[in-house]
Amino acid sequence: MPGRRGLIAAASLLGLALLWAWATSPFGPVSPERFPSPPLVGAAFLQIATTGFAGATLPRQVLTSLGLVIEGFLVAASSGTALGLAMGWNRRFAAFVNPVFQLLRPIPPLAWIPLVILWLGLGNAAKVLVIWFAAFVPAVINAETGVREIPGALLEAARMLGTPRHRLLVEVVVPAAAPMIFTGLRLCLQATWTTLVAAELVGSFYGLGHVLSEAQQDIYPGMIFVGMAAIGVCGWLTTAVLGWVERRLLGWHASARPAHA
Amino acid sequence: MSAIVFAGARRVYDLPSRRVVALESFDLSIAEKEFVVIVGPSGCGKTTCLRLAAGFDFPSSGEVNVGGQKVTGPGPDRAVVFQHFALFPWKTVHDNIALGLRNAGVPAAERERRIESALKLMNLESAARAFPHQLSGGMQQRVAIARATVLDPAVLLMDEPFGALDAQTRVVMQEELVRLARVNPRTVLFITHSVEEAIYLADRVVVMTRAPGRIKEIIAVKALREQEGWDTLPKIEDVMDQPSFVQLRTHVWRSLRDEQVPSE
Repeated sequence: MPGRRGLIAAASLLGLALLWAWATSPFGPVSPERFPSPPLVGAAFLQIATTGFAGATLPRQVLTSLGLVIEGFLVAASSGTALGLAMGWNRRFAAFVNPVFQLLRPIPPLAWIPLVILWLGLGNAAKVLVIWFAAFVPAVINAETGVREIPGALLEAARMLGTPRHRLLVEVVVPAAAPMIFTGLRLCLQATWTTLVAAELVGSFYGLGHVLSEAQQDIYPGMIFVGMAAIGVCGWLTTAVLGWVERRLLGWHASARPAHA
Repeated sequence: MSAIVFAGARRVYDLPSRRVVALESFDLSIAEKEFVVIVGPSGCGKTTCLRLAAGFDFPSSGEVNVGGQKVTGPGPDRAVVFQHFALFPWKTVHDNIALGLRNAGVPAAERERRIESALKLMNLESAARAFPHQLSGGMQQRVAIARATVLDPAVLLMDEPFGALDAQTRVVMQEELVRLARVNPRTVLFITHSVEEAIYLADRVVVMTRAPGRIKEIIAVKALREQEGWDTLPKIEDVMDQPSFVQLRTHVWRSLRDEQVPSE
């Protein structure tokens, strides 16, 4: 079955590629000046891979963005999950933190960019801070909900079995909330990429967002495509890694939780 | 030292809109190694009773003592079997049973030995590496019973443990519980709304009134059971056919029926 579905997927992608090649060819309706043809994209790819574009070659641009994504994700995910766990576990703490959280939440993360650039300039610290504003929120909300939704009987069972209070976090709270925590982490990763590219578009020296913004100024659609494709591939890669970690850690959860747990 | 004593226990819940008295002047002494079953209409406070003995909840007034000590919180001396099993879904059967032993600091070798014998006793040997969701409801409840009894608790608290099981599985579990309870008697407080289950398992059956829950009647079963030799009969249906059982069941039914809230 998966073999057949793989075949259908390959046919779909091949169809799209053929449509693209035809549409941007001299026989097609689209001007390659606006919508680059496959050869133009290929040429742009060769250029950035060998001589470079927007100040560096492709590996350096990719590694700059990927490094920032990983750094921003780790900072936002760990701090957000920790805060969410604490808020879920302690109602009073949640009541204390929530007003600030609700006050800041409606501000779109990208609206912080001007202020952050004033504070930290165009460097990496500024990017990580903007990412943090965006990616922190889903990590907090999902971890908090995850803890809140732990069935009371599970905590009672653990206490009845003599689990000391300080061990409950490791023994019950984190594993029971883990499926929700991972939902938060997936959203967190998505927000990380979105925000990073936006922040790089606004101002940066290297990175895939920087490639996009330079290519736009040069009216170079082929290079814009290369930049977009590179972001797509990197985003897919990081999501796949996170999915792999989730499957490794939550094997017990994969085939659905029992209805009454 | 495992007797359970409720002395004038009262539990009141203050809800935003009203005040609910779940349990009212509840006096009950359960002797060491006695099997007491509480039956009552839904919402009569029978689960509240069990939660007070478990230390999950505390009386608004009055006292609950286990083994001569006031109950101040849950602990492994009073193992609980929950209606919906409350197994840790991320732990294998083996690891679910191991948690209590690890908390108690039982050395690894002895721990494995005890887990193995608990698995054997509950016919779970082949399921040791399975996760709870891979098992049937009956198997899951066996795991929960193994998890509770592996600690060799003086007191076993069972909150409608077979309520979520299908009828056939339920019967098998009841027979197995009788086998366990007669071989290795412990102090058991068992909650159910099944009259047959209550009479089949109990040394004494406590009938509760509808809310606010009080004790309506206590029926001694043990003497009759021994006199009539119920435990010598292999199957629950054989016991349920005995005229002595039928008579008692009718009695408890009538007592309970008076407590049903009349339906409109």
